[in-house]
Amino acid sequence: MISKVEKDYISKGIAAGIRNDGRGPNESRQLELETGIINQASGSCRVSVRGGTEVLVGIKVSVGDIQELDTRDEEEEAMKNRADVGRIVCSVECSPSAKIVLDKRQIEEMCILYTQILNRTLNGPQGGLDLYKLCIIPGSVCWILNIDVLILNYGGSVFDAIFMAVRGAIHNTRLAKVKVESTDGAFDFEVEDDETEVLEGRENVPVAVTAFQIDKNHVIDAMPLEEQCSDSSVSVMVNKHGKLCGVQKGLKGSLETSLLINMIQHCQNKGQEVISAMDSFLAQEERRIIDLVEPVGFR
Amino acid sequence: MSRLELITPEGLRVDGRRPKETRRIYSRTDLLAADGSSYIEMGNTKLITTVYGPKESKNNNSNSIINVEFHLASFASGSTAKKLRNDKKLMENSIAIRDIFESVLIKSFGRSEIDVFIQVLQSDGGVLAAAINGTCLALIDAGIPITDYVTACTAGYCNEQAILDLNYIEESSEVPCLTVALTPKNEKILLMNMEHRLHLDNFDSVLSLAKTGCQTIYESLDECIRK
Repeated sequence: MISKVEKDYISKGIAAGIRNDGRGPNESRQLELETGIINQASGSCRVSVRGGTEVLVGIKVSVGDIQELDTRDEEEEAMKNRADVGRIVCSVECSPSAKIVLDKRQIEEMCILYTQILNRTLNGPQGGLDLYKLCIIPGSVCWILNIDVLILNYGGSVFDAIFMAVRGAIHNTRLAKVKVESTDGAFDFEVEDDETEVLEGRENVPVAVTAFQIDKNHVIDAMPLEEQCSDSSVSVMVNKHGKLCGVQKGLKGSLETSLLINMIQHCQNKGQEVISAMDSFLAQEERRIIDLVEPVGFR
Repeated sequence: MSRLELITPEGLRVDGRRPKETRRIYSRTDLLAADGSSYIEMGNTKLITTVYGPKESKNNNSNSIINVEFHLASFASGSTAKKLRNDKKLMENSIAIRDIFESVLIKSFGRSEIDVFIQVLQSDGGVLAAAINGTCLALIDAGIPITDYVTACTAGYCNEQAILDLNYIEESSEVPCLTVALTPKNEKILLMNMEHRLHLDNFDSVLSLAKTGCQTIYESLDECIRK
């Protein structure tokens, strides 16, 4: 818990445009990004934000059945179209080292919440990835992307780091090529081990930017102390074209519409910056991988 | 895989090592913002250990206690085996690690609690051994007084000879696998477990090989700490 005096100190500082670590309200912390650090995964990415937050994402692809459709759903028409798409299964886990900032229950809730948002965002058209390309045989077999997020260290704005790491890992993922053969109506497929391809639409995967409201102001890329001062937060998922891919209000407070719109606008602009910064990072990583330079990892 | 393929006629193992060679070890401390943390790589087995404490114990125990939590990332193993996590094997490992390190803690260190979190990022055999080595480094990094290092290593027996530091392929084939943890200065054995069957005549050679493995690892860990 944060004391009243400290809260007052932080919020007055932000009202004056100064934050505890010397950043402006709209400035984010420096970050490091590295892809391909887990060789047992199909794709992986580590994002570490200076000041503590550390997120590791591993993607494993597997071949699975296309889900049995639940016909009692009202949107039957929409579901029919889903027989020829692959799917993405996300899970967020928090390493227990984050327990020092949050208690066990809070961590569990946070993980569930983030898992759901990730699943929702990535499995829709807003997720960027071409889910139709993940389908192997319509109606029966598809690729499943298992995206596992591991929060190694909690240092504020974890959600933004998660999305960044997921985007990086998707960029890094290589899918084995599949040859589908049809012999008198029956489909059969063969996975080719030596040929791989990148995921279609990987550059359109959104990133998230979270703004934390403190009094009449808001900050981006908050530190844990600032998060505790805040009554409500708004997470905005935005892709490289600047389109909103999802908005999520968090925390317990209430927000005026005008402030909310303002915050969303802000996040959207910031998101563009984040994506262009990320893409240059990813291009760098791509070059490094082509040059066969070993990743640094945790060394 | 049959046991014949594990060592080629030229005397090389599946990953190109000689029988009495350990895998490449890399370790560092002070990784995350915790009281103590370490990162260790033994070949392709990679894990992070964090230590918090010592802090005041909640229950009325006059000794110091260590809580160990062992986590396996879902992308850590070769297959997407969700059930591997949180299962009894991991529990067993954390109990083993707790027992080992409670015995090397300095006794006057009463009424305190130390939390150890182990996060396996990649597993390629010898996870328990790597976790013990990682925990040792993290405890030292946290400045917790222990009487000596504890290092651990695995050894096995195949094709009529003892082999050191098994990887996943060797571990999962029909090969006896012995895990040993000891304090390197006086060579007291703190943990020993073996799966599979092995003739008593051969046991001695496997055990002594594991011991030399522990000494090699001790040198590498000591170098990392003194850096």
